[in-house]
Amino acid sequence: MIGFIYELREAGVPVSVQYILEFFHALERGLAPDLDRLFLLARLIFVKREEHYDAFEQAFASFFFGANPARRALAWEDLISGKPFREWLEREIESGRLPPDAVSEFGMEGLLSRFFETLLAQEGEHHGGSTWVGTRGRSPFGHGGMSGGGIRVHGQGLHGTARKVIADRRFVNYSGKSALAAENLRQALASLKSLRPTGPETELDVDETVSRTARNGGEIELVFRRELRNRLKLIVLLDNGGYSMTPYVPLVRTVFAKIAGTLRDLRTFYFHNCVYGAVYLDPPRTRPLNWKVLANESRNTRLVIIGDANMAPAELMASYGSLDVGAVERKPGREWLKELRGMFPASVWLNPIPEERWRYESATIGQIGRIFHMEDLTLAGIKRAVEHLNAEGRTVDGR
Amino acid sequence: MRFEGSDHYHLNAELHEIVNIAIAMEKPLLLTGEAGTGKTRLAFEIARSLGLQMEEARCKSTFKGEELCYVYDTVLRLNDSRFGSGTTGRDVDNIWDYLRFGPIGRAFLAEDRRVLLLDEIDKTDSDAQDNLLDVLEDGSFIIREINHRVAARIKPIIVITSNAKRELSDPFLRRCFCHAIPFPPPEEMALIVRLHFPRIPEHFLQACLTSFYRLREQGFEKPPATAELLDWIGSMEAGGRQAPGAGKDVAHIGTLLKRSQDLLKFKGAWKPPRY
Repeated sequence: MIGFIYELREAGVPVSVQYILEFFHALERGLAPDLDRLFLLARLIFVKREEHYDAFEQAFASFFFGANPARRALAWEDLISGKPFREWLEREIESGRLPPDAVSEFGMEGLLSRFFETLLAQEGEHHGGSTWVGTRGRSPFGHGGMSGGGIRVHGQGLHGTARKVIADRRFVNYSGKSALAAENLRQALASLKSLRPTGPETELDVDETVSRTARNGGEIELVFRRELRNRLKLIVLLDNGGYSMTPYVPLVRTVFAKIAGTLRDLRTFYFHNCVYGAVYLDPPRTRPLNWKVLANESRNTRLVIIGDANMAPAELMASYGSLDVGAVERKPGREWLKELRGMFPASVWLNPIPEERWRYESATIGQIGRIFHMEDLTLAGIKRAVEHLNAEGRTVDGR
Repeated sequence: MRFEGSDHYHLNAELHEIVNIAIAMEKPLLLTGEAGTGKTRLAFEIARSLGLQMEEARCKSTFKGEELCYVYDTVLRLNDSRFGSGTTGRDVDNIWDYLRFGPIGRAFLAEDRRVLLLDEIDKTDSDAQDNLLDVLEDGSFIIREINHRVAARIKPIIVITSNAKRELSDPFLRRCFCHAIPFPPPEEMALIVRLHFPRIPEHFLQACLTSFYRLREQGFEKPPATAELLDWIGSMEAGGRQAPGAGKDVAHIGTLLKRSQDLLKFKGAWKPPRY
């Protein structure tokens, strides 16, 4: 069983000691008399989020049904784009066993089934058939055997859920493997706080009430105040223009999706390279939002700018620096950014370029870094950015 | 104590096992899934089939978590201390006379085992969820005013539902058994409908299910779910319709699609706004 737990960890399902204890406790109480119930029990204990369903099912299949973890990539797309399939296809065509025009004739399914046939035949020759198809039971296709620490795999299962579910792979799309682990990011963002008195005055201020009542000579005077609640308002400015941002699109998308999923009061505006007197409501940047409107919101709103701060120095420093041909704005971008910084007392600039490359990438990064507190889009960077926002925000919220 | 479904609620084998594991392990069961998949109903069915009393808390976004456990009525106590408690039997020196217990408090203090439902927990702030961690962890909460820990006499069966509009915090999830209820496939849906309408003719049921699943695939903002399907069939039965109709001619479409935009889209009059 310990092996299974390590398999889970390897598959990317977070496992805590508490879960393991719970798991053994449950086993001791006989809650998993057959494999189907073991599957459900283990899933209840170890899987807390839908995005881990897939990894869990793969790990379970691998450990208890003996599927080789190396062949875990069962999604057709992965398989077809994978190296073994490509190589097999080339070999088949070269050796003439598969005429080129037959490839289109077979269709994807036909090709795949041929691929598997070859693969299985090979396995048979080389390994004595114990991994894929065998009768000794350590395989998803075999039958009549013992596997996985003396638990009956085959025969009539009580409900047939485990294998059915695994075969279905209902949650196949959830396993999110990105550079930034989703749950860490979520935790980092969750600590973004803005405690502020909100709503009507409904909370009884006991101390004040007692003291006023005492001063009144015992005549009760009730004093109410407004509750302190986390009412974070956040504006995200996204640099969505130009080629310089293109390599970072997936990264920015992950981070942005997490921010949007965690926060309730969030608005997003767009800009290109630098801000000149307006930001835009829509991604193609056709509907500008007036600067004054932005300024009105700004006191108790946190500002996060996501952009690479990489532009021609003139865009930042010169008058009429905007890349837009029709722009009539005389003030250089740097002044606008300074003004923006002044408007939002709690603000941070997130740069998708890793910090160690800032110095080489562009001179404008350093320039902007002097105006805005800048962090890169790594987990550590985001954590520091959140801390920075909280620290700056606390002075604002005090009022 | 085993839960065995009931005659009004179709329980699939998987969910059945899960409920029983959660009861045996005394862990809160967090159910997520689309609206109308019977999350809330399940709690009621557990209570009914085991013959237990329910304590239910419908969560609101303003909840802080504590009021689900107890409320300390300071104003009443101040009032009594000034004007006397009269014939109410309250004793101003005794704080317990001024504590009122919420659903969690009642479930913990009860002499019998109860089913505690925390409905739509995702509506609350993450702070409120954090305040409930002790409740989930070891079945206790603290009355802050007197630093008194109330521990559950008999741990209630806790069922929590979430529409997963917003994500729940990790510590909260860690203390629960989590299960995402998938939308029932047609075969299972047929069983569910039969439980509610035992006399429905087979061909009528099949026609309804076909239209229903076709509608679900059309990407409406609020796709019709089980509850809508049952309403729809009920309305057709009441209206004496022989066939559900197909294409643009679905009867009583208002019971299936609730949003006006979805309705317009269904009728083909709605075009997506252009940018």
